[in-house]
Amino acid sequence: MASVASSGSELNPPVIQASFLSKWYGDVIGLNGLNVTILEGITGIVGPNGAGKSTFFKLVTGTIKSNAGELSVLGQKPWGNWRQLGAIGFCPDYEFLPLDMTGQQYLEYIGGLQAMEKTGLDKRIKEVAGIVRMTKDMNRKMGGYSKGMKQRLKIAGALLHNPKLLLLDEPLSGLDPISRRDIIELIKTLNRNYGHTIIVSSHVLHEIERMTHNIVLIYKGRAVATGVISEIRNLISQYPHNIIIEGKNMPELAKALLDKSYTYSVGYNNNRNSITVKVTAPEEFFDSMPDLVEKSMASVERMYSQDDNLESVFKYLVGW
Amino acid sequence: MELNKIISPVLAIFKYSTRKILFNRRWVITLLIALLVGVIMGYAGSQLDDALNDGTTLMDVLILSFIMPIITMIYGTSLIRNEIEDRSITQVITAPLDRRIAYLGYYFSLAAALSLIMLVINLVGWVSFFAQQGMDGDSLTILGSMCLVSVIGALAYSALFLASGVFLKKPVYFGLFYAFIWESFIGSIPGAISHYTIKHFVRSIASGWLEWGSIGIYDGTSVGASIAVLAGVTIAFLVLGAMMFKESEYP
Repeated sequence: MASVASSGSELNPPVIQASFLSKWYGDVIGLNGLNVTILEGITGIVGPNGAGKSTFFKLVTGTIKSNAGELSVLGQKPWGNWRQLGAIGFCPDYEFLPLDMTGQQYLEYIGGLQAMEKTGLDKRIKEVAGIVRMTKDMNRKMGGYSKGMKQRLKIAGALLHNPKLLLLDEPLSGLDPISRRDIIELIKTLNRNYGHTIIVSSHVLHEIERMTHNIVLIYKGRAVATGVISEIRNLISQYPHNIIIEGKNMPELAKALLDKSYTYSVGYNNNRNSITVKVTAPEEFFDSMPDLVEKSMASVERMYSQDDNLESVFKYLVGW
Repeated sequence: MELNKIISPVLAIFKYSTRKILFNRRWVITLLIALLVGVIMGYAGSQLDDALNDGTTLMDVLILSFIMPIITMIYGTSLIRNEIEDRSITQVITAPLDRRIAYLGYYFSLAAALSLIMLVINLVGWVSFFAQQGMDGDSLTILGSMCLVSVIGALAYSALFLASGVFLKKPVYFGLFYAFIWESFIGSIPGAISHYTIKHFVRSIASGWLEWGSIGIYDGTSVGASIAVLAGVTIAFLVLGAMMFKESEYP
């Protein structure tokens, strides 16, 4: 079972440990034997819509019950364990803010639910409003907030009781680029300056990459890869690679490539001077290329792999 | 300190939900119903001349037997169910708070808001009728008694309909069946079956306190037994609803 953690935190016990965790809704599978260990720091849960990210968060917060497997959150089972929620802050991916209330009223309500004392609560609301940069807008009704402001206030609500573990489900979804940048910076600040362990989900890899190098890739309810990005990149060699070759006499080169056992497919791109070759053994491919180019009398002007970024890793791992 | 951990969240839910009940767009429905009561009882007050009997009968038929089950059904079935549907329930179920305690917060807010609404409707009806017929001591007894039984009824109906919002995905269908078929129709036919309604016990209590109109001649259960039954029903549905709320999953 792979672990994801920030550097230097390996000595601490896991924040979350799931083994063969499964959850299904009737015929629909939410999680399917998920195995993952998450340590302190920022961890990104990455997967396409419907992969099971939100189901995982709901299991962690105890709003739903697993059908099989084990889940330990901060050393305890979450289902029915309401006391543990004092150590968890959850910001879901959906809209639920009462739009007729002001930000201040909303946080007072959340503080009440958290049984925070009035004087401490007032101070904390000011502090949290400052952290999420909403101080000026706290007395405005939330109906007039932009999506980014609502997102910041949702995070403020999750932060209010100063939880050890912060769960942010798709916090960047639907935001404009500036708001995305702000929320990414906020998440990094919350971990770096305030010490929160943060689990953040997204279906966009490069956004997660800007926040953390610890990721869990989920697809169809399973963790298809976990670890730091460099480790996951090493997995590339286990999956077919797409390599784009541009130059002259590409049809001849394509024919030569098709004769090779490592070639999975070859296709033209926009014109006959550019081909994409999918190979199952990239190292073998690169070794054989000089000979192939010579034999096919091709002239290669540019050759590059589409696989040098996280997006490609993800696509490989989930079979896209 | 531990007590504060219970009182503070319950108070937060109470304030939040009461505000929602009283100030959401459905207040228009409440206003229209209050106006309807005012118009009907105002018109009746100008036509009838046996003030105590007619006024009591009108308040019984119009408010206790008809409007109370409907109003409580409208608000009760939707309070928790709407939060489950729009997922705003998340903020409650992810708070470090025993869900059974949270459920009590919802119940208290519903019962308080519905009691207030019923008091206003009773007051509007009573003023509309008795302002024309004379507001003497007996009429004040009618108002006081009707208000009190309305509050008792609101407590029981709230427990029933709130629980239905946890048990059922479409509690309004149950509410409509219960309010219109069970309470209004089954509750009106002769025989013991009509006793299996909240309305029966509410009217029984009123009949023990008032000697006028349809209530005065109502052949009901004794006041003590009726209060005991309603208390039992209320507690039973509260416990059932709270347990169900605790054990339910909220995907």
